[in-house]
This record gives sequence, structure tokens and C-alpha cells, in this order.
Amino acid sequence: MSTPVSYLDNTGDDPAVRARLVVGDNDFHSVTNTVCGIVEQPRPPKFWWVAFAASSSLTLVLFACIGYLVTTGIGVWGLQVPVGWGYAIVNFVFWVGIGHAGTLISAILFLLRQRWRTSINRFAEAMTIFAVVCAGIFPGIHVGRIWFAYWLFPIPNQMSMWPNFRSPLLWDVFAVGTYATVSLLFWYMGMIPDLASIRDRATTKLRFYIYGVLSLGWRSSNRHWHRFEFAYLLLASLATPLVLSVHSVVSFDFAVSIMPGWHTTIFPPYFVAGAIFSGFAMVVTLIIPTRKFFGLEEIITARHLENMAKIMLATGMMVGLAYSTEFFVAWYSGNTYEAFTFLNRAFGPYAWAYWTMVTCNVLVPQIFWFRKLRNKTIILWVASILINVGMWFERFVIVVSSLSRDYLPTSWGYYRPTAIDVLTFVGSFGLFFTLFLLFVRFLPMVGMAEVKGVMPQAHLDRPGHRGHGDYHGDIAGVEVV
Amino acid sequence: MPPMKNDIETGLTYWRSLDELARTPEFQEAVQREFPGDNWDRLPPATRRQFLKVMGASLAMAGLTACRWPKEEIVPFAHRPEGRTPGVPEHFATSMELGGVALGMLVTSFDGRPIKAEGNRLHPDSLGALTAIAQADILQLYDPDRSRRLLLRESGQQYVKTWSDFEAVAVEHFAGDGTGVAVLAGASSSPTQAMVRDQFLEAHPEAGWYEYEPISRDNEREGTRLVFGTPLRVHPKVDTVGVIACFDADPLFDHPSSLRLAREFAAARHPETGTGARLYVTESSYSLTGVRADHRMAVPSSRVPVVLARVAHLLVAEHHLDLPAAAAGYAGAAGQEISEQEIDFAKLLATDLAGHRGSGVILVGPRQEPAVHALAAVLNQVLESTLDYTADPDPDRPSHIEAIGELAAEMASGSVETLLVLGGNPVYDAPADLQFGELLARVPLSIHLSLYDDETSQRCTWHLPRAHGLEAWGDGTAWDGTLTMRQPLIAPLYGGRSVIEVLSLASGLNSISGYELVRENLRKSASSIDFEGFWRRALHDGTVESTAWDTVQTRLDPGRLAVAVDGLRALLVSDPPSADRPEVVLIADSRVWDGRFANNGWLQELPDSLTKVTWDNALLVSPVTARELGIADGEIAVVEAGGTNVEVPTFVLPGQARSSMTLALGYGRTAAGRIGNGVGADAYQLRTTKAPHVVSGATVRGSGRSYSLATTQDHFAIDTAGFKERNRRVGELVREASLDAYKANPEVFHEHEHHPPLISLWKDQEYEGEQWGMAIDLNTCIGCNACVVACQAENNIPVVGREQVLNQREMQWIRIDRYFKTEPGLGSDEIDNAEVVFQPMTCVHCENAPCEQVCPVAATQHTADGLNAMVYNRCVGTRYCSNNCPLKVRRFNFFNYHKELADTSKMQFNPEVTVRARGVMEKCTFCVQRIEAVRIGARNDNRPIADGEIVPACAQTCPTQAITFGNLNDSKSSVSRLREEKRSYATLAELNIRPRAHYLGRLSNRAAGAGPDGHGAPHGEADSHGKETA
Repeated sequence: MSTPVSYLDNTGDDPAVRARLVVGDNDFHSVTNTVCGIVEQPRPPKFWWVAFAASSSLTLVLFACIGYLVTTGIGVWGLQVPVGWGYAIVNFVFWVGIGHAGTLISAILFLLRQRWRTSINRFAEAMTIFAVVCAGIFPGIHVGRIWFAYWLFPIPNQMSMWPNFRSPLLWDVFAVGTYATVSLLFWYMGMIPDLASIRDRATTKLRFYIYGVLSLGWRSSNRHWHRFEFAYLLLASLATPLVLSVHSVVSFDFAVSIMPGWHTTIFPPYFVAGAIFSGFAMVVTLIIPTRKFFGLEEIITARHLENMAKIMLATGMMVGLAYSTEFFVAWYSGNTYEAFTFLNRAFGPYAWAYWTMVTCNVLVPQIFWFRKLRNKTIILWVASILINVGMWFERFVIVVSSLSRDYLPTSWGYYRPTAIDVLTFVGSFGLFFTLFLLFVRFLPMVGMAEVKGVMPQAHLDRPGHRGHGDYHGDIAGVEVV
Repeated sequence: MPPMKNDIETGLTYWRSLDELARTPEFQEAVQREFPGDNWDRLPPATRRQFLKVMGASLAMAGLTACRWPKEEIVPFAHRPEGRTPGVPEHFATSMELGGVALGMLVTSFDGRPIKAEGNRLHPDSLGALTAIAQADILQLYDPDRSRRLLLRESGQQYVKTWSDFEAVAVEHFAGDGTGVAVLAGASSSPTQAMVRDQFLEAHPEAGWYEYEPISRDNEREGTRLVFGTPLRVHPKVDTVGVIACFDADPLFDHPSSLRLAREFAAARHPETGTGARLYVTESSYSLTGVRADHRMAVPSSRVPVVLARVAHLLVAEHHLDLPAAAAGYAGAAGQEISEQEIDFAKLLATDLAGHRGSGVILVGPRQEPAVHALAAVLNQVLESTLDYTADPDPDRPSHIEAIGELAAEMASGSVETLLVLGGNPVYDAPADLQFGELLARVPLSIHLSLYDDETSQRCTWHLPRAHGLEAWGDGTAWDGTLTMRQPLIAPLYGGRSVIEVLSLASGLNSISGYELVRENLRKSASSIDFEGFWRRALHDGTVESTAWDTVQTRLDPGRLAVAVDGLRALLVSDPPSADRPEVVLIADSRVWDGRFANNGWLQELPDSLTKVTWDNALLVSPVTARELGIADGEIAVVEAGGTNVEVPTFVLPGQARSSMTLALGYGRTAAGRIGNGVGADAYQLRTTKAPHVVSGATVRGSGRSYSLATTQDHFAIDTAGFKERNRRVGELVREASLDAYKANPEVFHEHEHHPPLISLWKDQEYEGEQWGMAIDLNTCIGCNACVVACQAENNIPVVGREQVLNQREMQWIRIDRYFKTEPGLGSDEIDNAEVVFQPMTCVHCENAPCEQVCPVAATQHTADGLNAMVYNRCVGTRYCSNNCPLKVRRFNFFNYHKELADTSKMQFNPEVTVRARGVMEKCTFCVQRIEAVRIGARNDNRPIADGEIVPACAQTCPTQAITFGNLNDSKSSVSRLREEKRSYATLAELNIRPRAHYLGRLSNRAAGAGPDGHGAPHGEADSHGKETA
């Protein structure tokens, strides 16, 4: 089958040719028009409305479930003794994991000077924020007395009662809180020049004022650019350790406990790898339809997708390695409880969950070895969804199967989620997509300023290659639309 | 549904399902419409007044209050009643009667509300302990479903009546010589009731008197009659015994003196001071005695006589036991088919019995035929066994089955015009072939005195509310005859009257109070001149000293022995049951007894000791028989016998005899109350006068439908990986060794401990004053569940219902873990026989507690005296502590379990213990309220806390005193000494949790030359049970 290579295909890896990161006949103006145009449309397209109706309905389901939970009790979920944590914590870890891709792309790939990140970093960061919002709901509502959940924060009080600083749950509060704050700042700050672009193109007063306020007086002066880039670098450096720390700390919830299957030193790197894996999978899941529907295929190109597929392949293998290492250690340590826990994962009552996880997380990414497969958008999209499923099950296996059979066989149990469990989880997707749809409607989903920096037009006056690096300074002069 | 049922369905206290809970408003409405003005959920706000009445009552109440109604006055506590300190609980000695035996109790009363029953140390059958049932009885006192008024049912209508209405009816119908009058009473040991009965029969000489009790020891009584010519009571003594042989007998649990016997057994099993008490058990289904057996053989109930006959044969033939000539026929009676396993067992037992002449005892269970009891009595006589006999208090009484049969015949003939049913529930629990319910319709006037408007009440013309045992005066006798007093702790909540009051009313002695009757009776037997002093003393102690019956010297009655031998022969020739024609053994339930406790939430939710099933009875089937019949675990089986079908879920239980199934009575109630209605299957439908205990020739088949039994532990059937691992861990968790191995090497319990050095991450807490600890002796724990109910009563632990238990949300703070020990290498479907061990498990108050570290809000903390305390107020309910608890002893309030509680039920709450809110974690506190109460007392007296002064509820009620609590800082305290013992070990010590509760290893005492363990199972040749390799 020899179909002619589309102009959209920039996936070639001829080392002599630097692949274009924006394809097609685009210049700065057309990029601005494309990206701002989405926001400036008087009415969103029909598919947006359909999606928004569905996701906001699901959001209502989420809040209805939470309302029922708060008024009735945690018993509406399937939790029990021994399995005291179920869907809520699984969902929490799942969403926090998803929230890793954005900051990884914008911070770590920035520091590593991966220029292809520019097309997707805004999008991924937004996804991060929304995922963290979804994640943040679950620890809040999973406590028995939700009205006292604020006791987890170190708020000075008349009882001089502090939280227990030895508890990993408290570390979680700090880790996730810090991560959410920094991610939000990073995302917002990176968006300022683009917000200013929308402001400058505004045709209505309302739009002018709203985006005017949001762009914080950005005038695109050299000094602004200088400060901006410096702050961006600082925040990127600040966010980078957080990317690694947040899921490490989340993994401490498990690793610090004494439950076999939880008490494992491999957890921090294993969780971080899994988080990046799932984060990229979620980015791919979202970005494929988005670029299609909003006509962004020239900016978010096939090469971007391919790069993400490669990252998923790598992190998927890391996760696979972690799975096998766990088994090895369970055997090698001679700890019979540990050994049984892993045997039980693979062959016990939750074996179905375990093998779902292995299939989705280890086997499915193997197709990315093949260029043909990873460059087929639909295959990549289905695979990314399967990886999301697998990563959710990974957390389910860790949380539930470990708890269900611990030390005393007399207290072994089998956890079954209730309808409320499932609806709450589905509802959290509703919230996620609702926020996401609002984002694509009202905010520039591609970092225009940064994308322009990696376009050839940015370097017209500089023939020859300076090496990878910071081109931001170059953009300022040509920013004029 | 008759209209009256509606009120039973309202105002839910406990609920079994969310459905039922959700139905509340409709039912409430229905009631409101039908009986306007009656709000059944509210009591008269009378606690203080009742308190004053009862307090004053001890001596003078009756005389004062009988004259007139008390004035409705508010009485301030300006002058507090003598001897009472507000907020300080008082204890009253009283008793509870079950099956015609009184059990002494000490009831704690808080501000006039009895809240907890404990054993009376002075009572010979209690010795301070109390059974689970007797403890739970207090919940029944406050049961909102109890009947609250007199009812007259006439031509399909029902009317609410008053006691004076009934008195008028009584005068009319209990007149004359009593022709056409019959009284059906439950078994009673009360001398007062006997006196009133005699008065009644004197007043109405033609009246018929019948006593019926579905669960009784009549067979034993008849057996002794066969041998000795007169019925005798058997009083085994096992404290200095070398060998105990139980044939379908469960002396440690199912005996009126079980608490005493368990205590004695525990003493006999002490590794240093005990006499060994090697226990042989032949039974069809695991009993608690069977669990503790050193040699157990599971045979169908109908095969038990064969084994006993073979033992007798061997004793005569091989050990030259000198049986009286007439009894020698027993030895000859053993010529029938017998399996090799049975012979081996009989040989071993015969040898041991012969070697323990004078220090052995043979016990036969109440379900065995009189002839079997007779043989045991002969053997016991000749072997000079350690048991006493006393005369039966009522030797002429026919057996209960005969009595109810006679009454039924009278009713069928139409000669009964007035039937007075005092307690009991014959429509539900009389043998099915009598059709008692149908016969009742032929009686023009039937009167039922009952705690509940139950199945019998609904078929009678009159229903009278009965006063609960804690509301009424009375007395009774212990199994050994000791006079036991019963005094009310509260005025009748619902206007009930006691049996003696109603009976005296029927005798024409109008409105004589129970108080007067009991005094009158006691006056007769009191030798003391100072009656008031004697009376006070009797009430104070709860028992009257030296009133036990004299033991009688027994002589075999050779003339009767021949009859007994013939009876036995008849038993021996019956065909052994097969899978196609299995026997179904009907047993008293360990929780709801004969069904009378069916509406008791504590008991319904109490896991059966062996199956761990709550809220249901189940057909216990051996794994092999289940496979042969193609019935799966949890499948609903159809049991057919005598043309009756009963559908009941199956529970596959290893250790159950093949072709013998066991089904507990007491379930399938239809008018028990909101809790008990529709729970389980009614086994009484299979019970006939001819076969009240063992239904032979039944057919059992699967229905293809499955049912979820709410067990608090996993089923035996489990996936292969889990099954293997569970078997592997048992030996480590419940350590066991043979007595000989332990004596040879006291370190045997610690030989296989391997762990790295245990170093704490944190600085250890130091203790200056006390630090508490516990020792639980697995060698004496018999798994009787008494501690579970004690804890539930003491600590306001909610009942959560079947649905919640199914989801593993039961709330009991202490549980009895049950493990099966099986031979290695067999799968769960291949096991036929398995040893069972128990391990009481509660919060062990780890010194290095995993729960404390992970709580983000520091709601679980170490106290200055070493307790791992839960601060309910601080708990936000992350459940992290429970996840991180390696023993999973923490319990979470998933819902507000107290939301729908009736006001009466709230009266049972212990005011010293917080009622936990929704969303809060809870767990064993070592009864911190008791610790603090003692500490305050000691501090007031400026003295140190004495050893043994603090007794947690579980330890207090333990019949075998397996639980010891005390100060670990005091090296002389009992708990410190026990922890010094070589048997002492901590579970999961390798996790460095450093539990404050230690276990003392279990010891077995198998006969020399018996080979290794295996209970003589068909797979008995495999010898690696892992016992010594703990």
C-alpha cells in the first residue's frame, strides 16, 4: 500500500533534515488566526455543545453522588474492613497521575529543550490542572466526617492541635497542594502573552476587558519578555522536582504502611513512571479528537503524536519493569506475606484486574515499536484509552487487592464497588471534560508565542543552526501581528 | 398479613436490610391510622420514677404500692435515696431461667436502668461467667417489638384489653374444679412457681398440667431412670479428670452447667497443675467440645451408640471390666458392622478409660436416646467416674415430648375448653406432627402469656404481655438445686406480668404480686428466725447457701437394665445413613436457642462459633457428602423428610460427619418481631414426636439457587492460592504443640520465629505508673462467644444487620477467629476432616502501633498507660488506620447505626461509653471506662491499683478465664507472670508492632501411641499436621 505521504506527515526521521514542528503553509499570522479563531468564534461548534451537554450532565451526577454520600455516609460505597480504601483513593491516584503530563511537558521538556513540546504544553498543562481538580475531590470526600476534613490542614487552633506530621496522608496534602498551586501558576503565567493576543484582537468590549484583566497588562515589551522568560525558567525549575515529588509522596501513602503489597521501596519511581505514562496517554486521548475537530493538525502534528507514543512506550516498559521487579523482590525477600500478596494478585480473586492491568499497560504499548502502528492516529487513540484503563486498574490492583488479603486470613475480604462508587468515578470524568471543554472554548489551547518560536520564520535572519536552545528572545521582535 | 402485624413493622431499631429501613414511613403511617393515640415508640417518661420504685422496692415496695396508684408527682433528688450516689452504677443479683434451670446473674444498673448482665460468682452454674445468650437477654428487655398490651382476638377481629378485663375473664373461666382447663407451661425450676402450681391444681383438681420445652435433657433423665429406677440429674466433674469421653455431648457449651464445666476443664488442662483431661469426642457435627478434643471422630449421630457399645464391649472383653450380669448384654450388643476407624477410636478410648478408673467420665449428649444414656450411666458407675447424681426435682413428670403429645391428644378430643399457655411458643416449636396450631383453633378459650405477640399468641384468643425476667420477681434453682433468687431491676416497661402472677390469678388468688408469692415461698423454706435478714441476704447474694440438693448414692437396678439393653440393641441395628438417605440432626441454635431469642439483634448478629454465619441458620454438610449430592457451598438445599420440605442454604463444613447433616432450630420465625421475622429456615417443620432430634432417612437435594450467607469470616471454600496460604499461616498464628512436646521442650512455641532485629523508628515511650497488657490463653479458649456479647453490651456496639455483615461491616470489637487446620497438599474440595482452632482477636494495643503513625489528624494515640486510644472526637474517618492494622480489628461507622434506634433500646446504653457517630473509627479500648473507674477509686483511697481489680468485660465473662488483664509494670501481676510463660507469644511479632496482648499457645494432649493428629479421619495416615512445627 503506497499512499502518497501527506504534507501533514512530518514523522520522518532523516537525521539530515530537521523535521518541521508546524507543517503546512503557516506563518505567524495564520497560527494566531487558527488558535485565536477558536476562542473568537461567536458560537462554539455543534460538537462542542454535544460534548458539553454530556459532560456537564455527568458533572451533575458527580455532585449528586457526593451529596448522597455526605448526607448518608461512606457506607454508600462498597468499602468495608479490610478494604478501607476503594474507588475514591484509586480515582485520586489515577487523576493525580494524569496530572503529571502537563507539568512534565512544560517544565522538564522545557529544561531539556525539547522544542516539540510547544504545541502541546498549554493543552497538557490545562489537562493537568483539571486532573488535579478531579483528584483533589476524592481525598476530601472519602473521609468519614467530611465536615471536619479541614483538620488535615495545619491550621492553628485553640486546642493547639496539629495534624500528625508522621502521616503520609498529611504529606499528601502538602504535596498535592503545592503541585496544584505551582501547576496553576505555571500554566497561567505561560498563557499571559497569548491572552494579550486575544485581548488585542478583541472586537467586543466585554472580551477586551476580560482578557485585558487576565493578561495583566502585557505589552510585549522587551523587558516584559525578559522577565517572562526568566520567570518561566524559574518556575520550570521549581516545577520539575514537583513532578517527581508529588507522585512519590502519593506512593508513600502505600509504601510507608506495613501492608504487604504496599510496603515497597520501589513505589516512588514506579509511581512516577506510571504517572507520566498515564498522563501522556490522557494527553493523546484528548488531543487526537481536539486537533481534528478544531483543525489544529498543522500545529499539533503527527510528529507530536509520535513523540508521545515513544514516551508512552518508554514509560510503559518502566512500569512493566516495576511489575516484574515487585514479583522478583516478593520472591527474593523471603517475606512470605509479600510473596503471597503477589501470587494472590496474579491468581487470586482479583486476577482479572491484574491481567487487565498487565495487558493494557505492558502489552498494548508494545505496538508503538512499529512506526506504522504508532503513526496511525486511530490505533494510537485506542491504545491511549486502553493505557488509561490499564493505569486505573494498576491503582485498583495496588489499593484493593493488597488490602483484601493481608495478614490474618480470617479478615480477608472481597471488595465490590457499588453503583455510587462507579457513578462518582464516571462523574469525575464529567467534571474533567466540562472543565476541559470550557478551556478549549475560552482560552488559547496552543501556546502561540512559543510555537512561533519554533517555526522557521522565527529564524529568517539567522541562517545556520545555533543548536537547541532558547529562541524566546527572538520572537519578541516579530510578535507584531 | 393480619392487621396486627403492622405495628411490629414500625419504628425500626435494627434492620436487616436497607429495604426494610426504607419501608419505615409507610408502616409508621399504617400504625398511626389503625391505632391512633398509641405511639409505640415512646415510653412513658418514667425512668426516675421507676427507679425510685424499684430501689425502694427491695423491702417495702409491694406493701405500699399495692394499696393505690402512686401519685403523679415530680420528686426532686433533694433527698437522695439511701445508699445511692448519682452516676455510680449499682449491681443487683438476679437470675435468668432457660430450659428449667436458673442461671445467676449480677446486673449492673445505671440510674435505674439495667444495662449489663454479668455472672454471679456465688452461683454454682455461673461462677462469675455468663453465656452469650444470658448476657444478650438484657437487650430483649428493651426490645421495642415486645408486646405492650393485652389482646383479644375474636372472629377475625382483635381488641386491645386491660388486665382487669382479663381478670374478669379469668374469674369466669377458672372457676369450679377445672374440668376442661389445661395449662401448658415451660420447664421451670422455680419453687414459687411449683407452689403456685400446686395451689392452682388444688383449686382446680381436674385441670391438666403440661410442661413443654423444645430443648431439654429429658433423654438423660429417662436414661438414668432406666438404670437407676428413678430419674436422676447428672453432675459431671471434670476439674480433676484424666479422660473425658463425649458421645454427641457438648459439656463445654450445651449444658446447664457448661460455664462451670468449662472452668473445670480449663483447670484440668493447665499444663503444670492440671490433670490432663484428655478429651475424646464422637459426634456428628463440630461442637465446641469437639473443637477442643484431642481425639475426635465424626460419625453420624445414629452411629454414636455403636461406638459407645463397642467401647463397652472392649472394656469388658479386653480390659476385664466387671459389668453387672444384666448389663453384660451391652457388651454383646456390639456385634454389628463397624468401620475400622470406629474400632481404632473405640480401642484407644477403651484403653484410656480403663487406665483412668476413678478419674474418667463418659458423657452422652441430650440428643441421644435414653438407652445410650443408660449404657453410659452403667459404664460410669462401674468405672467410678467423676460425676454425681442428684434426685430429679419432679420425678413423676412425663418427658416434654410426651407431655405436649398428651395435651395435643386432649385438644384433639375436644376436651380442652380453656387452655392457658404460660410462656413458650408451641405453635412454632411443638413437634410438627401434632399440628398444634390447628388444634389450638378447637380450644374455645386459649390464653397465651408471652413476651411477644408471637405465632402462638396470634392463634390464641387472648394474648397477655409477659414481664421480662428483669422486670419480675421470681426464683429458680441451679442445675445442682441451689436456690437462686430473681429480683426485678425495673418496673415492667410494658405492663407485663410474670408467670407466677398470672398463674396465681388463675388459681383464684386475685392480684397477688410476684413479690409476695416469692416471699411466701421462701418463708416456708427459711430456717432462720430473722426472715427479713434472710430475705435481704438471699437477694443480696442472689443465691441461698447450702441449698444444693444432696447427691444420691446410686445402685444399678438390675431389673431394669435388660430393658435398657433391648433399647440399645434396637438402636444398633438401624442402617447407617448414606448420602441418599442422610440423617438430619436438629440442634438447639447456639444463639437464638429454640427460637425465643430470634428478635435479639446481638444474638442474630453473633457469628456462629464454627460457621461464622450470622442472621441465618444453614444446613451443615460434610464436603464429601456435598460432592456426592452435587450441592455447592451456599446453594439452597431442599430437605425432605416425612412429607415436609424445608429449604435452607448449605454450609459445607469440614469435620461434619458424612451423610449426616445438622440444622439448627429456632429460625424461620414469622411473628418474632422486626429483627427475627423471616430470618433463616424453620427446622421445626422436620421435627416430630417420634424423631425430635435425629431425622433419619431424609432426602436432600440442591435447588440450583444460591444464597449469600452473611459470614464474618471467609467460607472454607476458597480459591486455591488463598486456601494454601491460609493453611500455611494457621500454625504460625495459632501456635499449638502437644503437651509432651511442650514439657520436653518449653521453647517449642518459639522455635520457628525468624525475623530481623526489631528496631523502632521512634523513641520508645516510657512508663512510670501502670502499663496495661493482656494475655489470652488459647489453651483454654473454647470459642463460646461470651466475650463477644459482653463487649457488645459493655461498649454500646451497634447491630448492623445482615446486609452490612455481608459487606464485612460487622462492628463487634472482639471476634473469635476460627481456623481450620488441614493436612497439607489437599485442595479445599478434597478436605473431609479438619481440625479447628480458635483465636480471640481484638485490638492488641501495639506498643509500636501502625495505626497511630498513619492517622493524619492524630486521632489515635498512645496514652500514658500504654493504651492505644481512639479519640472519637478527633477522628475524621480516613480509615487509614484500619488499612494499616495488620490484625484488622478496627471497626468503622459506615452509617449512623444508631439513627433509627428506639428510645427503649437506648436505655440499654452504657453511659460510661461514648456512642460513636457516623464516619468514626472505633475499636477495643481494653474497657478504658473500667480502668478509669478503678483508677479513680484507688486514687480516692490513696492506694495503688490492685492486681485483678480491673477486669475488662471480655475477661470478666470468660467461662474459662482465658483472658487476663493487668499491669505489665508490676512483675508480680498475673498478666506479667503469664507473659513470662514459655507458651506466651505475640502474633505478627515480626512486624515489630509489639502487641500488648499476647497469646498463650494451645496444647493438645493426645494419647500415647495414638499416632499423630488427624482425628482419625479417613486421611489420617498423613501425619504432618504442622502442630509441632508452629
